[in-house]
Amino acid sequence: MRDQVLETALADRPKAGRKGWWFKNRDTVDGYLFLLPFLIVYIVFVIFPVLQAVYMSFFDWDLLAMQNRSFIGLENYVTMLWGREMTWDLQHLWPWRLAIAGLVGAAWLLVADKTFKRITAVWLTVISLIFIVVLGVHPAADAGRWNDALFWSSLGNTIQFVLLSTPLIVGVGLLMALALNGGGRFFGSLRTMFFAPYVFSVSVLTLIFGFLLNPQRGILAEFLGYFGIEPIPWLTDPNLAMPAIVLATLWWTVGFNMVLFLAGLQDIEPQLYEAADLDGANTWQKFLHVTIPGLRRTLLLVVILQIIASFQIFGQVFIMTRGGPGGSTRVLIQHIYESGFRDFDLGYASAMSIFLFLVMFVVSYFQFRIGGEE
Amino acid sequence: MTALQPTDASTKRWFRLFSFRALLVVAAFFWIAPIIWMFSLALTPNDVLRTVTTSLVPIQPTIDNFLSVFQVGLTPRWFLNSTIVTVITTVLTLILCSLAGYAFARLEFRGKKIVFPFVLAGLMVPKEAMFIPLFLMFAEVEMHNTHAALFLPRIAAPLGVFIMTQFFRAIPREIEEAAELDGASRWTIFWRVMLPMSAPALTALAIFTFVLTWNDYLWPLVSATQKEMFTITTGLASLQGNFAQATELGSLMARGVVASAPLLILFIIFQRQLIRGISVGSGGK
Repeated sequence: MRDQVLETALADRPKAGRKGWWFKNRDTVDGYLFLLPFLIVYIVFVIFPVLQAVYMSFFDWDLLAMQNRSFIGLENYVTMLWGREMTWDLQHLWPWRLAIAGLVGAAWLLVADKTFKRITAVWLTVISLIFIVVLGVHPAADAGRWNDALFWSSLGNTIQFVLLSTPLIVGVGLLMALALNGGGRFFGSLRTMFFAPYVFSVSVLTLIFGFLLNPQRGILAEFLGYFGIEPIPWLTDPNLAMPAIVLATLWWTVGFNMVLFLAGLQDIEPQLYEAADLDGANTWQKFLHVTIPGLRRTLLLVVILQIIASFQIFGQVFIMTRGGPGGSTRVLIQHIYESGFRDFDLGYASAMSIFLFLVMFVVSYFQFRIGGEE
Repeated sequence: MTALQPTDASTKRWFRLFSFRALLVVAAFFWIAPIIWMFSLALTPNDVLRTVTTSLVPIQPTIDNFLSVFQVGLTPRWFLNSTIVTVITTVLTLILCSLAGYAFARLEFRGKKIVFPFVLAGLMVPKEAMFIPLFLMFAEVEMHNTHAALFLPRIAAPLGVFIMTQFFRAIPREIEEAAELDGASRWTIFWRVMLPMSAPALTALAIFTFVLTWNDYLWPLVSATQKEMFTITTGLASLQGNFAQATELGSLMARGVVASAPLLILFIIFQRQLIRGISVGSGGK
């Protein structure tokens, strides 16, 4: 009713009498005027670089002699993904391929649960099947080798970081949120303390942790010394460097996940807990049957955001270990950075950027689906 | 015996609650111990640190290390660079995102059904992956080692547009219509009515953008290669892993404190807004 009155009033006002193209299209004109500043920078600095990277990836594009670039078709991609004497067999990397198959199974269970739409799961299945087949390709054991073995080791280290950090940082974030989800000043100040490291920049993180992990002079060695543990050379032992980086990252970013989980916990209806209390449920049962189902969407979101963030790991390793010792912490972005700015091969670096972009795009797509389905 | 049981149970409950809280306090202490340690080292003279480096309280406390930050090296310059770039990025992000968000939320322009998804698609472009073509773009116009090169790629934030769109959509239309009846132009409505009402969203977006920009590492590392143009984040990174770390640990840690001071202060004041920014910005809410 009120709307009708308003509409009549709006239609009757003097301005509404104006005619002409500008007036008829004023929403469109205004719309684009408001959008213009954003659209310009968005197209120039977000969209165009993606197209430019695709274009550059088809060239031998030298940073020092940029005029001398030459079109080489897919050669950069061949360098990145192919090798000599390639073969395919069923057993190669079979635990990984089996794990991917398991992931597909889990996705279909989530469809039954209505967390995923069917189409999302179909996409996931198609992509996974391609992966399961493609992962059987590898250089023959005797004569073969990859064109760029460093790419594969960097990718392997990145995936190792993703697989170590995701369950840990998500799990600890969830535990923190559950433990600190209380009212009052006590819990408020504890939340502040656990969140605080998140505001540091990566170079402050490495400043603290580079020294904290130092076996001779660091505070961690001193602390572990009280328990009779010998100093551990965290960052110079190839087996310990990546776990140490994961621990530093946990300390730095877990507050972010905690915040998301705390927000998710607020959305669970208190009545559900009351009902569970009436049914005589204990704390563990309430956690299992009320909290976890209530957090399902948040959990998925946090896992995906964590995977996206972990895939882009760079600063921590680049400052603390430079990818060492023995290349054990060298990650994909470092390989892109060094291919571009140390080896001056912008074309090849672009090809790897596109690869990273596609991986991220697929992961974000699922984030998007989850975000959009509620 | 039975009469005692309630007291017994409540003692038990009290004890459990107490030990849980005590455990949390201990855990929190260990969690922030590295931060306390950084402050402690920053307040300890460099020559003391040659022998003792593991004390959480400064030995022979001094502020010499902080004074040296402003006397030796380029740290003040880097701090200034970071401040300029971060403030400009934040202000421009707010302007662009609120303008675009208003258009998407309130104006029924032609092509909206195409333009909006086009902008949302930007959410799926990872910032870190595209630094090679961006480097080339700025190299071609010879703009590297300028402040503009540092902030321009950062102000196009599709996420900010999305947040502002959602927020503007939630504002009741009646308020705008009332202003329209008073003869207010579209710009006046946006500037005088909608923007003031969206202060909570703008603050959250501002804090979030400020933190991310101040802490940005990869792009400044790629673009600003001259020492004078480093940001505090890349500058501090450049000081690590070399000789200075062994002999001037206190000065180095003081620089770490200076580099994180603006964000720590901001965090203490705007903690709520930052946390809101995170949960809104991640699609958690």
